[in-house]
Amino acid sequence: MSRRALVRSAAIAALLAALVVLPHFLQFHHQDFLIFLGINVLVVVSYRLMTLTGEWSLIHVVMMGVGAYASALLAKQLGVSFWLSMPMAGVVAASVAALLSFPLFRMTQFYFLIGSFAVGEAIRLAWIYFVFPFGGSSGINNVPVPELGGLDFFEPVTYFYLVLAVVTLSLAILYRIENSRIGLTLLAVHWKAPLAESVGVDTWRYRALAFVVASFFVGIAGALKVHYLGIVTPHQFGVGVMVFVLIWVILGGYNTFFGPVIGAVVLSILDEAIRQFNDELSDIVNFDFAVMRPAIYGVLLIVVIMAMPRGLESIAPNIATWLRERRGR
Amino acid sequence: MELFLQSIVNSLIQGGFFALWAVGLVLVFGVMGVVNFAHGELVMVGAYCIWLMHAQYETPYLVALVLAVLVVMLLGVGMERFLFRPKREDVLGGLINSIGMLFILQVAAHVVGGTGPAKQVAPPFSGTLVLGELLRLPYQRLFALAVSAAALLVLFYFLTRTRLGWSLRAVALDREAAALQGININRTSMIAIGVSGALAGLAGALMAPMTNIYPHMGHNVIITSFIVTIVGGIGSLSGAVLAAFLYAFLHTFVTAYVSGTVATMSGLLIMVLVLIVRPTGLVGQRVSE
Amino acid sequence: MALLEVRNVVKRFSGLVALNDVSFCVEAGSIHGLIGPNGAGKSTLFKNIAGFYQPNAGDILFDGVSLRGRSPHAIAALGVVRTFQETTLFQELTVRENVLIGCHLRARSNLFAALLGLDRARQGAAAGRTAEILAFMDLADRAEQPAAELPLGSQRALAIAIALAAGPRLLLMDEPFAGMNPEETRHMMDLTRKVVESGITVVLVEHDMKAVMGLCGVLTVLNFGGVLAEGSPEAIRSNPRVIEAYLGGAG
Repeated sequence: MSRRALVRSAAIAALLAALVVLPHFLQFHHQDFLIFLGINVLVVVSYRLMTLTGEWSLIHVVMMGVGAYASALLAKQLGVSFWLSMPMAGVVAASVAALLSFPLFRMTQFYFLIGSFAVGEAIRLAWIYFVFPFGGSSGINNVPVPELGGLDFFEPVTYFYLVLAVVTLSLAILYRIENSRIGLTLLAVHWKAPLAESVGVDTWRYRALAFVVASFFVGIAGALKVHYLGIVTPHQFGVGVMVFVLIWVILGGYNTFFGPVIGAVVLSILDEAIRQFNDELSDIVNFDFAVMRPAIYGVLLIVVIMAMPRGLESIAPNIATWLRERRGR
Repeated sequence: MELFLQSIVNSLIQGGFFALWAVGLVLVFGVMGVVNFAHGELVMVGAYCIWLMHAQYETPYLVALVLAVLVVMLLGVGMERFLFRPKREDVLGGLINSIGMLFILQVAAHVVGGTGPAKQVAPPFSGTLVLGELLRLPYQRLFALAVSAAALLVLFYFLTRTRLGWSLRAVALDREAAALQGININRTSMIAIGVSGALAGLAGALMAPMTNIYPHMGHNVIITSFIVTIVGGIGSLSGAVLAAFLYAFLHTFVTAYVSGTVATMSGLLIMVLVLIVRPTGLVGQRVSE
Repeated sequence: MALLEVRNVVKRFSGLVALNDVSFCVEAGSIHGLIGPNGAGKSTLFKNIAGFYQPNAGDILFDGVSLRGRSPHAIAALGVVRTFQETTLFQELTVRENVLIGCHLRARSNLFAALLGLDRARQGAAAGRTAEILAFMDLADRAEQPAAELPLGSQRALAIAIALAAGPRLLLMDEPFAGMNPEETRHMMDLTRKVVESGITVVLVEHDMKAVMGLCGVLTVLNFGGVLAEGSPEAIRSNPRVIEAYLGGAG
């Protein structure tokens, strides 16, 4: 292994070790937060795979819901064990994505964006309308907690380790895909689709592949979420949440694998901080600052687009360049 | 039978609104090349203006209506100047900016109106025109329909008979060529979104006495506008108006006889169908990119 | 039987007739030139052959198999690969990575195999093929350079390398000599001859007459979407109608 790869592996190992130890130093509320942070990371990295082909969909979060509903129904109605329903959630989401590829990938760019938005909304409305089996607006509750030997998955710390394991494995797979020839071909489809076609690349198939794989992993994220919360509703997967994912990707930057992760982590922490600040502040001042949160993200979005269009990930090299220039003077 | 006739009338009124909404979106997309995701919020602001000025401060309705139109028009122009113009080359950036604005406007509505149940504004025109035993036409709704129709006619005249309107259409057809001919792109963009904002504000103001006013009411507007715009043809205004009325009929009747949820679902699926089978829509000719 | 047969092809674009009953044959192993004034329809014809456009009428046969209705990648899989006007490359990638993508048809990657590390052999084959082609096109020493940094001649060579990686039997070259100085032109001519010698048939659309006359065994001349003349370079050069088409008329 090259020196860079060695350093990188060491850094990741250290990070994982820190994450394993971390929950024991935190309060319950923050342990809770870590679980959602882990799930968010999986959501955003799986979304990134799609953006490699240059197609930005608005249906990703709905696919998470597809996985969540699948796992919830399998576990609650059919008594399937979590350890089976979770991967199945991924398979169901991937299958739905494969089916949807046929209509959706006849469009590209702007039309694909709107089309994916429309299909996503239609699915969400279907969850609301069909009270059987989806439970309508109230969704499905009493979704069972995973069971394994004597482990208590009701405990946040235990569940966090589950999330950590699943997310780490998923990220490893996604990273591997991106750096393989398949990842290279996805980029080729993005940058010069006609050139790729001319050497035999079926660009439709690769776009669909990215969508299906992304949906597989976000379906698993959905299963992780629903088995922790115990409840799934259509409102958990609305446009607002999709916009959050977009913010993470754009704020973090999407030119590198870890850019969106940075975005998700920074913004999730920010979100949590605002929520805490709001709780404390509204004890003092009688105003619900929670209402302001979307506006803060709105301003943040605009600031990022105007001032930092390449996202946070571009800051590191920029700082390095800036430092180098200063030293040169 | 009564339901059927009533639905026809409701469809016409809805169609007027859908047309006002969609036309605004198409104008901005055609001239500026950007999708304004905050378009629904512009309509919402128009409605809130009526609530604030007319219901809270007792400004006469017609005065408040004019003010609402002006407010939203200025809001649109501001968005062009600060959010869309700097991102003219970066379509995705402009789109994301509009999403940011969407959030800001929703929160502004929360702050201005408080977080309670949806607001309602008493209709300034009371009374109903009763036709036989079958039709009840509240004057408020007739007013809304008349004003919508008048606005669309004025817009049509503006676009086809005035020089300013022609410059809008020229830029929509080919921005570079228009610029080479001396048309000021900045000014044309401002006018396009100004008109779009004015129509949105008007729609909101007309809707205010007839619907629930709450910060997220724009969500429905943008979804409907997308459906109508795509089905009608992405570059075409006449297509949007036609599709607006067709969709209004579909939506009203399905809502009346089945449910609102199913109505919206059908609309979305029809839109996807159009995107697949005939991406240029019913009337539209040019397909972007 | 000719390797490529274009048979009565008609192509219309909302009222404008770009190709009007075009027919000609390309023999295996030849360098066949396609020339004509600007707007004659040469590139449009290429796009129809390679599947980026579909003819409105007529047929295109490759080794007896009809290409109509097939998508570009399917036509590439049959052995027909085109290059593009105006240097089309994956600018953000290195030279080696560019060619690696071209190897797609010859060393397909499978998702699960890639994940489980089972496709070592196929990756090795792709890497080997890439190295071979880079050597063949004299690009080996630039393998790790970003494509965007190459000089013009090397960029065009890279475009051909990508096409070669796909293993074509017929290579459609779209104005590869555009914008080249005499030395670059000479180099590119040598590369083209090398490609043909390795067993690939070439159809060349080009304006540079020196390259055309020096390379091609047969010429087909297009004008206003129709075939004006066909024959050896000497015959075409002295054909009065061809001369008039280039110098006179709407040129």
